[in-house]
Amino acid sequence: MRMGFLCLFIVLLSACGGGGGSSSAEAPAPALAPVAPPSSTPPATTPPPPIIPPPTVPPTVPPSDPVPSGISLSEGHRFLIQSTMGIDQDDVAALQALGFEPWIDEQIQHPVSNQLAYLASLPEPANNFQGQANRIDAWFRYAVQGDDQLRQRVAFALSELMVVSDSSTLFNTPTGLADYYDTLATHAFDNFRTLMQAVTLHPAMGVYLSVLGNEKPDASRNIRPDENYARELMQLFTLGLVELNMDGSVKIDSSGEPIPTYDQQIIEGFAHVYTGWTFGGSTNFDRPSFNFTIPMQAFPDFHDTAPKALLSGVVLPAGQTPEQDLDQALDNIFNHPNVAPFVSRHLIQKLVTANPSLAYVNRVALVFSDDGNGQRGNLAAVVKAILLDTEARSLANDSGGKLVEPILRLVQLWRAYNASAASGRFYFPSPEQSFAQAPLRSPSVFNFFSPFYAPPGEISDRGLVSPEMQITNETTIASTHNYFAIAVFLQNSSTPDLRDDVIAIDIASDIALAGDREALIDSVTIRLLGSAPSTSLRIQIDELLNRAPTDNAEFTVTEVIHAVVTSTEFARQR
Amino acid sequence: MRRRKFLTLSASALASSMIPLRAFSADAGFSDYKCLVNIFLLGGNDAFNLVVPSSSAEYNIYAASRQNLAVPQADLLAINPSNPDGASYGFHPSASVLRDLFEAGDLAVMANIGPLIEPTTKDAYLSQSVALPPQLFSHNDQQDQWYTLRGKLSLSTGWAGRIADLLQSSTQAQQLALNTSLFGTTLFQASDTSVPYTVGVGGANTYGALDADAFLGSSRRAAFEAYLDRGFTNLHARALSEVHQRSLGTADQVNEALALVPQLATPFPDSSLGKQLNTIARLIAVKDEFAMSRQIFFAATGGFDTHDNQNQVQPNLIQDIADSVGAFNAALMEISQSDSVVTFTQSDFGRTLTSNGDGTDHGWGSHQIVTGSAVIGRDIYGTMPTLEIGGEDDATGGRIIPTTSADQYAATLARWFGVDESDLAQVAPNLGNFTSQNLGFLG
Repeated sequence: MRMGFLCLFIVLLSACGGGGGSSSAEAPAPALAPVAPPSSTPPATTPPPPIIPPPTVPPTVPPSDPVPSGISLSEGHRFLIQSTMGIDQDDVAALQALGFEPWIDEQIQHPVSNQLAYLASLPEPANNFQGQANRIDAWFRYAVQGDDQLRQRVAFALSELMVVSDSSTLFNTPTGLADYYDTLATHAFDNFRTLMQAVTLHPAMGVYLSVLGNEKPDASRNIRPDENYARELMQLFTLGLVELNMDGSVKIDSSGEPIPTYDQQIIEGFAHVYTGWTFGGSTNFDRPSFNFTIPMQAFPDFHDTAPKALLSGVVLPAGQTPEQDLDQALDNIFNHPNVAPFVSRHLIQKLVTANPSLAYVNRVALVFSDDGNGQRGNLAAVVKAILLDTEARSLANDSGGKLVEPILRLVQLWRAYNASAASGRFYFPSPEQSFAQAPLRSPSVFNFFSPFYAPPGEISDRGLVSPEMQITNETTIASTHNYFAIAVFLQNSSTPDLRDDVIAIDIASDIALAGDREALIDSVTIRLLGSAPSTSLRIQIDELLNRAPTDNAEFTVTEVIHAVVTSTEFARQR
Repeated sequence: MRRRKFLTLSASALASSMIPLRAFSADAGFSDYKCLVNIFLLGGNDAFNLVVPSSSAEYNIYAASRQNLAVPQADLLAINPSNPDGASYGFHPSASVLRDLFEAGDLAVMANIGPLIEPTTKDAYLSQSVALPPQLFSHNDQQDQWYTLRGKLSLSTGWAGRIADLLQSSTQAQQLALNTSLFGTTLFQASDTSVPYTVGVGGANTYGALDADAFLGSSRRAAFEAYLDRGFTNLHARALSEVHQRSLGTADQVNEALALVPQLATPFPDSSLGKQLNTIARLIAVKDEFAMSRQIFFAATGGFDTHDNQNQVQPNLIQDIADSVGAFNAALMEISQSDSVVTFTQSDFGRTLTSNGDGTDHGWGSHQIVTGSAVIGRDIYGTMPTLEIGGEDDATGGRIIPTTSADQYAATLARWFGVDESDLAQVAPNLGNFTSQNLGFLG
């Protein structure tokens, strides 16, 4: 049997060497080899065991005990898929004990997992690659083990809205990016205007979209302010290109055309606002501190003081300080009617469904506009409205739900099976090579995929979208499949001789069930799917187990887990 | 056996990129092989620093506009176009390979081109009396304009995808999709009738756990394929399973073919673009394994959004294009396909002539390059703009109004590729608004 495992292992390593996302960052291949290859090639002719007839008893979910909230196992699982990075069985029980809304309230109170503090506790990295590996380690650590699961999930959604990426010169500042992520997590339930200010003044954003070091115009040298942030803050982070109705649909003018949200003059107005800023703690503008973990500071001599035309006919008066201009400019954007549907739709798409109804967006956008206490932009209220909405809580139709983002599929496996490494670390420096995604590592400010991406065919024909399909192609889908094979077959608690930095899933409780097929399948699918498998998946599992050796518990268990995590029902949320 | 199963699955016109999908009558097909390679320079390449006026009057205007971002006059690599326009020009000093290709007659410069709906003068632009592509100066919108040429139409197909649609009956024998991307899914290749093929730089990605050499790999594969074949009610699950089916259905054959040319003698740069072009050259070398007569490849490379540090960053960007393109042309020579492949660049937009201190912002028109033995090279096509701030070609702020449209460029390429004259307007919807439908760089 061991020979068979090694054979599988060799194939996996050779398979995952090829391909790789062509658009992914180039980085050394992940160190995956947990054991040395065998000295001789094992025979590839292991005879299959006799085929066992499939069971005639249909799969069943064991009845769960009545819970105070009345939330069923599958309802709880579905809610937690939308609201956490992944689900362990304790999460479901806690939710069932509390109920949806009290669970959200409790999550909001959790202290923020702090990546920067974790990085500071690690040995100084040898280089920036290892520094970024530490940052990714911190992300997985809190994704898999953090108690602030809802906050981590919202922070991840925000990291795909207000994008910075280490596929840029920010590769040189892992701590700056960790601090940026912490900034998103810190303000995940704060007011959106506060988040806008924190993001705008974060030096990682300052470098990424060129506010940092941006100077007032100098006509004698044909120099005008950089327009990068002015454009992208409005286009990608807050407003979008065209005016929206409250339900997120595009407003149409009298001639049937969309109405641009702003024009080039307004971009230039904002570009002049964002002048005069550099690293905080600098002694002067041209001698920056390079401190990536405190907000930027302004030097008035480098700030443009002319009047600036902004949105909605607002003109900032001449002679204001950099801080006054910035405050009023961010207020100007924040109060634009587009912000409510634009941000609401983004968060709904990330948490719940790729294709929310107009009414759903409208309901959430109204809460964004006014949380009931007169506050605009209360993200805690918005997140609650998204998760408690009837459209989120009722089971979706055939076009509902969404694909789970590829990297979250891995987190879901790891959290369901309490994955850890003996070293206590999560050393997985290049997840984008297997999942076409890694935190703060998108190819550009446009994120890994567009919220409007519709694959050609029936989805496009029906006017729907499936954003995650933009990074799902012949190459990436095989890479993801391959990593799941490694993560399940070769990196589990029964794998011998694991290196101490290998992240292994804990399958001990399933091993104990290996002799009882029904119990094993129930255990695996309830963990990973929150329910029994579909009939089709059950047939596949039976076909696999009927051919598998019956005397190897590890093989039996991992075969079932592998089938489930590579199934389409694991890859989408209902 | 698997292959036949795959065919029957393809009732949906979009289930397969391996097998031609429609059973309508095929024509005789093409007797020759032609291939287009699109190198997309993501972020907006500042080509006003790639091809620069070198004659003093024109250079001085350029230098006054560009200030600290101007390439020094003495550093320019002189070129000798067959049809000079009165000024002289040189390439950026990092582009010596491109200069050599130009001088050898294998590379042409397409001057000041960009998305347009109709010919656009400065007066018409300023008085808003001309139809313009929506959201000028926005990255993704202008990338999409280059990919689709849709102007204000709501087209969801790319122009390479539409070429695939138009040539479908002539390419029925092909066993791979006409369109292949080395850079993931792209709107450029989105089609009504076929699914583009996506491949990695290391070849097709295979599923290790389903490999025949893995323990129980074959039965695991059979069980997984049967699971996919049973279908899914959920839309997203169905989309995902179709990608699995395409990936599993093509990978082995593509890799077996690529194994016939494990390595070309021509060395390629170790850059992303170099690797993509290397793999494209290898796929072209094994085209007969798939009975390919027409292919369009998409490659792309990023980093061109030079808002900052342009003087430090740009030489490396240009060097990579030059060396990768040079290697690709040499590799085509090695595999005797020089005459059948035309490589061209596209990019979001050009950049502002003005500086923001250490970089440039989003512009509009820009130069592109076209290369291959079929190209009538050593020439500059179109009209070189006046690089003057506030000059006749400056929309505002140093954003240059294109004098040739992306539609004309695509139509010229499509005509050479074999699209009927009468179908060119389907490839390039705004073509009829322009006088010249053939820019001449392909005869």
